[in-house]
Amino acid sequence: MTNTISRRDFLKLGGVAFGALAIEQFIPPLVAQAAREAGYLDASDSGYIPSMCEMCVWRCGLLAKVQNGRVVKLEGNPDHPHSKGKLCPRGQAGLMNTYDPDRVLSPLIRVGNRGEGQFRKASWDEALDMVAQNMLNIKTKYGPEAMVFSSTHNLSQPLFENLLQAFGSPNYGTQRSLCFNAMTVANLMTFGMEEPERDYSQLKYLILTGRNLAEAISNSETGDLVHAVDRGVKLIYLDPRFTKTAAKATEWLPIRPGTDLAFHLAMLNVIIGENLYNQSFVAQYTVGFDEVSSAVQQYTPEWAAGITEIPADTIRRIAREFAAAAPYALAHNNWRTSNFVNSFQTERAITILNAIVGNWGTTMFPAGSGTGLGAPKQPAFPRVSALRLDGVPWKYPFVPLQYGVIQELRDAIVAENPYAAHGWFITRQNPVMSIPDRKKTLTAFAKMDFIVTIDILLNDTTWFSDVVLPEASYLERYDPLSLVGDPLSAVGSRAFVRQPVIEPQGEGKSSMWIYKQLGDRLGLSDFFQYKDEEDYINQQLAPLGVSLDAVRKQGYVDLPVSNTDIHKWTTSSGKIELKSDSLDKAGFDGVPKWEEPPAPKSGQFYLLTGKGARQTQFGTQNNQLLHKYDDEPGLWMNTKVAATQGLNNGDMVQVASAVGQIYVKLIVTQAIRPDCVYMQPGFGHLSMGLTTAYGLGSSDSDVRVTYTDPISGGQALSQTFVTVQKA
Amino acid sequence: MTDIQNIKHKAFLFDATRCIDCRACMIACSVENNIPVDKTRIWVAGVGLMGEYPNLGRVSMVYHCMHCNEPDCLSACPVGAYSQRPDGPVLYDHNKCIGCRYCMNACPFGVPHFDFNKGLLQGAFIDKCTMCPQRIDIGLEPACVATCPTDALMFGERTDLLTEAHSRITAYPTRYINHVYGETENGGTSYLILSHVPFAELGLPNLGSTPVRDISEAAMALTIPFALAWGAVLTGVTVGVHQFNKRKEQLAEAEAKAKPEETK
Repeated sequence: MTNTISRRDFLKLGGVAFGALAIEQFIPPLVAQAAREAGYLDASDSGYIPSMCEMCVWRCGLLAKVQNGRVVKLEGNPDHPHSKGKLCPRGQAGLMNTYDPDRVLSPLIRVGNRGEGQFRKASWDEALDMVAQNMLNIKTKYGPEAMVFSSTHNLSQPLFENLLQAFGSPNYGTQRSLCFNAMTVANLMTFGMEEPERDYSQLKYLILTGRNLAEAISNSETGDLVHAVDRGVKLIYLDPRFTKTAAKATEWLPIRPGTDLAFHLAMLNVIIGENLYNQSFVAQYTVGFDEVSSAVQQYTPEWAAGITEIPADTIRRIAREFAAAAPYALAHNNWRTSNFVNSFQTERAITILNAIVGNWGTTMFPAGSGTGLGAPKQPAFPRVSALRLDGVPWKYPFVPLQYGVIQELRDAIVAENPYAAHGWFITRQNPVMSIPDRKKTLTAFAKMDFIVTIDILLNDTTWFSDVVLPEASYLERYDPLSLVGDPLSAVGSRAFVRQPVIEPQGEGKSSMWIYKQLGDRLGLSDFFQYKDEEDYINQQLAPLGVSLDAVRKQGYVDLPVSNTDIHKWTTSSGKIELKSDSLDKAGFDGVPKWEEPPAPKSGQFYLLTGKGARQTQFGTQNNQLLHKYDDEPGLWMNTKVAATQGLNNGDMVQVASAVGQIYVKLIVTQAIRPDCVYMQPGFGHLSMGLTTAYGLGSSDSDVRVTYTDPISGGQALSQTFVTVQKA
Repeated sequence: MTDIQNIKHKAFLFDATRCIDCRACMIACSVENNIPVDKTRIWVAGVGLMGEYPNLGRVSMVYHCMHCNEPDCLSACPVGAYSQRPDGPVLYDHNKCIGCRYCMNACPFGVPHFDFNKGLLQGAFIDKCTMCPQRIDIGLEPACVATCPTDALMFGERTDLLTEAHSRITAYPTRYINHVYGETENGGTSYLILSHVPFAELGLPNLGSTPVRDISEAAMALTIPFALAWGAVLTGVTVGVHQFNKRKEQLAEAEAKAKPEETK
């Protein structure tokens, strides 16, 4: 079984996927038609408008070719280090998000029952008044904490956070606890920073633990990886699946899910036991080495072999090779491993491994942070006395307030404990698809007096909303320049600008405009002291002595470079904390210790998820260009296992867990461990407002069980065990 | 025959060891060339996953027009819908096409594809990669190459890319099959391919260096002499048969005349 599209398959796919619908519907509406009419494209400097991609959070720089008011082509911006002139498939297809025939082009107000998808068009004034009135009613009746806010990583997020803090609610959910909390919290505890930058230029040896860079693409880093492999860098890849990254690896180790920690503890055991670590670096820049040293003595490769199913000799050899290649080695700290409740300690072990061989300063650096941007004036936020529903920090002391634990937030809403929530304001997020146990999320929605969403599409969450505010797409709007706490938008010493390359479709508006309008209606105007988007950005640029008009053409502004000492860490000791006293004091393990995660019972499988190259989480499946070139979604199962169960490729199977069941097409493949099944998340949309994506595949959120890591608040995504049988 | 190492054409170099099958090239091509959503000019070819768990490998290839030095499609086209620019791109003009599909049969790589949904009056039956002349004429790379996140696709002068390809093989002799596909195949193509698996596993035909069209043209060149000679032969035969029949008749007549005399 292969996952490539052959010519014949492509034609077949065309027939199956598009045959049922009129072809006219699928011709990219006027995309590139202007280019065709005008003959060859004009590539003079003025023909391209620089901006930033938003098809994932890597935020590449883009150059938009615009003709007759329409975007006809997107190119990677060569000036931006994340794109280097290239865009990934999602970036290339980005204009189809803007020209999606399903775009919401005016404010909508629900008329039928929730979930029926019946809305009427409304004016901005009516919709905004309605939102403000409902928010104020909830505030008066139940207090501001009864209004819940959530959003996913985006450049306008600081203004959203402004809105909720000015409103006085502590309740904030992001996608982070479903994604990378384990990694970022581990980095914070060790290095005092969320995510050190990785540098492949001098790399000789790389260990990727479940970081599928060839499919979960971070444009420039994916390129760096392939170029590193090309020049002979040894790549060790741990993953229960033979992914497209595994295909590039020197060695693929199909490790047992949940046991990455054991592998890395054994690495530490060998490197410390055989004195292969960098003694001067450890002495000068770290604390807690002795505690780590004694803690890992018991974790021999022979011990780990029994747990990970990787031979002891292999682990020992890799440990020696890794130490020999240091400081030009890197154990990638991943975005997440195959998430289990021990994932935080896995990430900690990885940070310690890098630290003790002295990779800091050769393959790992502090994330670049430019400084010097201004901001509009605003008063202090009102004091909030209510507890957060998600337990941060009273239950989860190590989770940053800006991350939150959205799955716990949802559970608290359902349980009405410690209090009931009555309104939910959601922007650029699709919790119906993303939070495990979808039934429970819909129960939480049912508890709400009022739900408002901001999106460009009728996604699954929007589908259940009372008011829908149509956002301008990323090619149609400004976002703030963003620096603090957001290393992704300031790259090195440059801040890049997202600016509209075309006029908004319909009545779409930027989030900056929407939040200000709501602020005015909620009596919070002082928190939104800017005339419009351009004024906001000009206020940001003021300290640099430049105006937006000066930045517009090249798309970025050079920031004052702050030469920081790379050997200073913002931890409590000021050094790299191999042992964390803060963790110790809170009753957690200050040095990583093995913790056996739950495993499937006989007849059950680990349910794994992971990204594919053509989709980003839950918001891109309706993009017709991505849909055109993507593989059909399904459930991977090992060939031999399928044979013993009497299952064939293409069979519809029922996948059942403790919380639900789904029906999905089976993909029989050699590329997965026999004890695992895998599906790509993001399919199985409920919204019939997504005409391309509706009806495709199933959603893992229907079967995922909620388990929260008590330290990082991360959802143990892979800790769901399922049975699979013929439907 | 042309010196196929020194063809002064623009060309692509595809390195299968660098391709991650992300398909950014396919989407870039679709947007750049305004390809309808149910059509494509680029495919992913190759066997994909190989082997049995846990001993696995993978190969995939970006497959589009090879832009042959001596294009068979152009030779086969009875109405001159195909043309070749001096710098290499093999182009197709839908205004001239009559939809006979000879090019599809002639192309040894199966590249031109036919739109069965279109009638005679709608034109543009055939579609294939053009090497993005609208881009390369203003100094840009073709859309597929420009966006390739891993530089699996490169674009440049064919001679330079051949040098680059051979230097990669020299630097990593165990990594690559010791051959640059397209260097000689079918008389040389402007799509050059490096691979870590036999080229057949990428779905590429095993072709000699003599272009199919040279063989067919050599054969076709004999048509007129053959027709003339065969005509002469047939004429000779016809004349001969006629003469023979005539003589036979004369003899029979003479005999008939003589007989009564004999019977008398």
